[in-house]
Amino acid sequence: MPKSGERATLAKPAPNVLKLPYRFDILLKYVSKFELKMGTNFVIYLALGALLCLSKVQAEIVNLNVERSLDLTSQLVRATTKISTEDTAGKPISEYVFFVDEPSLAYISVKDNADKNVQIRKNELAKGEESYTLTFPKAAAKQTFVVETVSSKNILPHPLEIRQNDKQFVKYIGHLHFYSKYKTNSQKTSAKLSSSNILSHTQVKPFSVASTKITFGPYENVEAFSLEPLVIHYENSSPFVTVNSLERTLEISHWGNIAVKESIQMTHTGAKLKGSFSRYDFQKEARSGQSALKSYKTYLPASASGVYYRDTNGNISTSNMNSGRDFIELELRPRFPLFGGWKTQYTLGYNVPSYEYMFSDGNKYQLKMHLIDHIYDNMAIDEATIKIILPEGSSDIKLSTPYTISRLPNELVHTYLDTTGRPVISFSKSNLVESHISDFTLYYSFSKISLLQEPLLVSGFIYIIFVFTIVFLRLDFSITSHSHKE
Amino acid sequence: MTVDVGGGVRGLLTWEKQEHLVKLAILILAAVLSFATRLFSVLRFESVIHEFDPYFNYRTTRFLAEQGFYKFHNWFDDRAWYPLGRIIGGTIYPGLMVTSAALYRLMWLLNITIDIRNVCVFLAPFFSSLTTLVTYALTKEIHSTGAGLVAAALISIVPGYISRSVAGSYDNEGIAIFCMLFTYYLWIKAVKTGTIFWSAMSALAYFYMVSSWGGYVFLINLIPLHVLALMITGRFSHRIYIAYSTLYCVGTILSMQISFVGFQPIQSSEHMLALGVFGLCQIHAFVDYLRSRIPKEHFELLFKTLVSSILTVVLVVGTVATITGKVSPWTGRFYSLLDPSYAKNHIPIIASVSEHQPTSWSSFYFDLQILVFLFPAGLYFCFSKLTDSNIFIILYGVTSIYFAGVMVRLMLVLAPVMCVLSGIAISHLLAKYIKSVDAGSAAKAGVESKRQFKKLEQQTGGVKSEVAIGFVGIITFMLIVYTLHCTWVTSEAYSSPSIVLSARSHDGGRIIFDDFREAYYWLQMNTPEDARIMSWWDYGYQITAMANRTILVDNNTWNNTHISRVGQAMASSEEKAYEIMRELDVDYVLVIFGGLTGYSSDDINKFLWMVRIGGSTDRGANIREKDYYAANGEFRVDKEGSPTLLNCLMYKMCYYRFGQMYTEGGKAQGYDRVRAAEIGNKDFELDVLEEAYTTEHWLVRIYKVKDLPNRGV
Repeated sequence: MPKSGERATLAKPAPNVLKLPYRFDILLKYVSKFELKMGTNFVIYLALGALLCLSKVQAEIVNLNVERSLDLTSQLVRATTKISTEDTAGKPISEYVFFVDEPSLAYISVKDNADKNVQIRKNELAKGEESYTLTFPKAAAKQTFVVETVSSKNILPHPLEIRQNDKQFVKYIGHLHFYSKYKTNSQKTSAKLSSSNILSHTQVKPFSVASTKITFGPYENVEAFSLEPLVIHYENSSPFVTVNSLERTLEISHWGNIAVKESIQMTHTGAKLKGSFSRYDFQKEARSGQSALKSYKTYLPASASGVYYRDTNGNISTSNMNSGRDFIELELRPRFPLFGGWKTQYTLGYNVPSYEYMFSDGNKYQLKMHLIDHIYDNMAIDEATIKIILPEGSSDIKLSTPYTISRLPNELVHTYLDTTGRPVISFSKSNLVESHISDFTLYYSFSKISLLQEPLLVSGFIYIIFVFTIVFLRLDFSITSHSHKE
Repeated sequence: MTVDVGGGVRGLLTWEKQEHLVKLAILILAAVLSFATRLFSVLRFESVIHEFDPYFNYRTTRFLAEQGFYKFHNWFDDRAWYPLGRIIGGTIYPGLMVTSAALYRLMWLLNITIDIRNVCVFLAPFFSSLTTLVTYALTKEIHSTGAGLVAAALISIVPGYISRSVAGSYDNEGIAIFCMLFTYYLWIKAVKTGTIFWSAMSALAYFYMVSSWGGYVFLINLIPLHVLALMITGRFSHRIYIAYSTLYCVGTILSMQISFVGFQPIQSSEHMLALGVFGLCQIHAFVDYLRSRIPKEHFELLFKTLVSSILTVVLVVGTVATITGKVSPWTGRFYSLLDPSYAKNHIPIIASVSEHQPTSWSSFYFDLQILVFLFPAGLYFCFSKLTDSNIFIILYGVTSIYFAGVMVRLMLVLAPVMCVLSGIAISHLLAKYIKSVDAGSAAKAGVESKRQFKKLEQQTGGVKSEVAIGFVGIITFMLIVYTLHCTWVTSEAYSSPSIVLSARSHDGGRIIFDDFREAYYWLQMNTPEDARIMSWWDYGYQITAMANRTILVDNNTWNNTHISRVGQAMASSEEKAYEIMRELDVDYVLVIFGGLTGYSSDDINKFLWMVRIGGSTDRGANIREKDYYAANGEFRVDKEGSPTLLNCLMYKMCYYRFGQMYTEGGKAQGYDRVRAAEIGNKDFELDVLEEAYTTEHWLVRIYKVKDLPNRGV
């Protein structure tokens, strides 16, 4: 069960004045240290930059030791990088610029050696590469910290198409050296693979292979911005499944219920199925369809009830539910096994009692819920849209999220017993992984008296019907008095 | 018996009010019961549309609800009958779709945000509740309040009607029975009062009926028949004249507004009785008028000349119109009504539908139970006191029992009149004997002398109270048995959605076979948006509705040659079939195969119909039914089977790689559990097709048609 992240996540990026390609950004920082004023002419900076590069401005910070471990067992790349750094001049280090070399980084968090969160600020840079400025809680001449990153779509199937009985091979392409703007004295990289079946990998000595683990290094004295490719081609039979779109709707009722509905579209993004699908092989041969997604587990809150799992054609009858103490384990099986390139779509919904997620103070309410929830292990979500439907008459709505999201315009929906409509808060976020499961908080005011509106509406309606019937039955509306009888 | 309202209430309410209360309570209970008893399948499975045709209705309703009426009216569906397409707006009865779309819109207007699927699923039970109320009104008009209540209670659970109106069975019949009875009710009202108001109302109800079901033809023949019978029995009056003339004129003009009906009401032979009776009405009224004005001798001469000349004119005009094609020739479906063996001998596609088969005696009992025996009694009571409205119900009963005998599906028309007549019978009998029961108990309490008792007995019809109690007991017992039977039939026979199958496993647990939806959903998700899918026509509606893909033929079997072409492809060898499939641009082929699970209504069992229909046109002349039989004349799939069968496309698609499967303990590989035989052709590869998907229990198998091979390969 993924825990809601207490860890540091991306802080809101401070607006950055620099809109230049990233290399110049770094250089400009140096430039500003020399108190050169930022001019307007790009060419001057370019020339200056080149000059500075050539003259090898003495880097004040060096990475003493870097230990990287890459977890390549699933479709995600989880990198844990332990960095010990030192200022050669002995000055205390308070800021450190960390470069990310993966193009689709989903998640980053940094902790120092006291297991405290380190503040992260994203620098707006050119496309493809990103950098983050880390600000340590305490400046010191020596800093040791651990950076954790998760990125999706960095492991790609190779070959792109396989037959039903074939194994799925994938290629990981990364950097052999820790990609840093600082010089690194000593570094080591270990990659954990899903199987010992390794077709090829980068052969830069020293390296060692031990069944499912490859260790590269130690490499001594690596220059800054060293770009050495690291390629590992190996078997990875875990299903590569991406959620293309997730639409999560939370409908809040002040009568004690929160209805959660998730509409999910997912595609198997691993090696595509070539040729025919044979049910006989799939049922009889163990090696058939290893990388296909047959079933997966979704974890729901322990208090969830009224779970449904359906698509446009109705209920999907292939699912099991096991209630645990802390969560409910839902074993979902799509209508058909997902082979490479196949996709499916479904809706999962349940109810949770609102007292677990709502807090109030008079007319002020606070809703604290997971922004996204677990769908399957090692999940990757391309695009998530979250909609929160508040009760009719809610006002002063304020949203606070654990990471940046893009707000969508507010809407109004009309449903059972509504008159003015319920406000809908919606926002979206792209590229999410399990580590993004954490709480958002929504503040709003709602007058308790409005709760009475709905029962009053119903009883009023029935009352009016009765009154009309009474009046209608007792009065004669005919124009003429007819004595006609059948 | 039911008037146990408690002393306090009895004090408050007058007798009349008590009766009112009881009446209302019984009616409401019957209406609720008729809704509730139809929910078996929803409770057992889910809120899902059943069978085949309802899927088409559901799809069109969804379209109507989303796109509006004009788009719906002009809808040309390119998803069906590829490459011909189908004009939906002009080839359906839109009443059902309009009803549910209107309900849907109305509910959304009131902010009841219900799904259109749920509207469709619960429409039939809702309308059967209304039917219950209308049956009460109709029977009350014909006989008495008591009979009405009994009839309402009977119809709320009669299996013959439930078979077509369970939740999820979203078909025309679901609302049509209500429309039909409602029209009858208003017609009886019109006949009784002779006012234009009631006959105009019945014309409107008739319009609703026409818009919702093709069975309106029965109605437009029954009402003229009623008028005719009234004329013959000398009961024709101004009331009848006004009622029928208004109904016919307004009703016909209204019915012609339905584009599927068009000019049929004045052209086709099925509507000629109505037209003829309308003319006869005018003449009869005119003759009556003349008779009151002219002396007797003159009148008789005039009458004879008029009759002979009118008959000649009608005959000549009728013949000319039929020959020139103005009056549509006698269609197959009409013949099959009159002559049960007609369709079987002439049109294979009509005969291949199981619901067009003649009804067996057992299914009468199965669907109606005690009503079968009460029906003659009801008829007797109607005859014993003939009125205008009684004649109508007698005619309705007699004609519908004939038609129900011809075609299973017309059991639906018979069921309501069975309930009405049985209601009359039961009410009549109970009313007679319950008096004696009351008298008996009263006698025991208060009457001492024998003479007084005798007198009382005479008053109550001369039946001893013991006999009366026994009789009432028997009736009660029969009614209880009827209730149990109906519930059992509903739960066992009529509440299976047929797209989800369920079976019992060895340990008693329930196994669900959800293969149909699995396959359709696979098609929807993993084939190109414009893929064309060939399957036997039974599955056409489901594929378009659930997979949203283009299909070649569907359950609207309007084009025989096209269906025949598909039949030819299924029945031919691979090379021949490939030519046909290339010709029809087929991308995928879908077959239903029950050999692994024992699902008997699969494509191999339907295969002979494909052969027959495939061979019924010129281009399929090479397909002969006898080629598919084994030497001894049997249809066999094992080694004895004919080589033509063992090598045709359908056989290969169903049994591809099945020869390696073990299906049952102690049997060889490739044992077909439906045919109970080991298949004859096991080791073969497919040349022009490749398996694209097979569902978990092998119920649905989908094949991809390979492209032409590259040159030089």
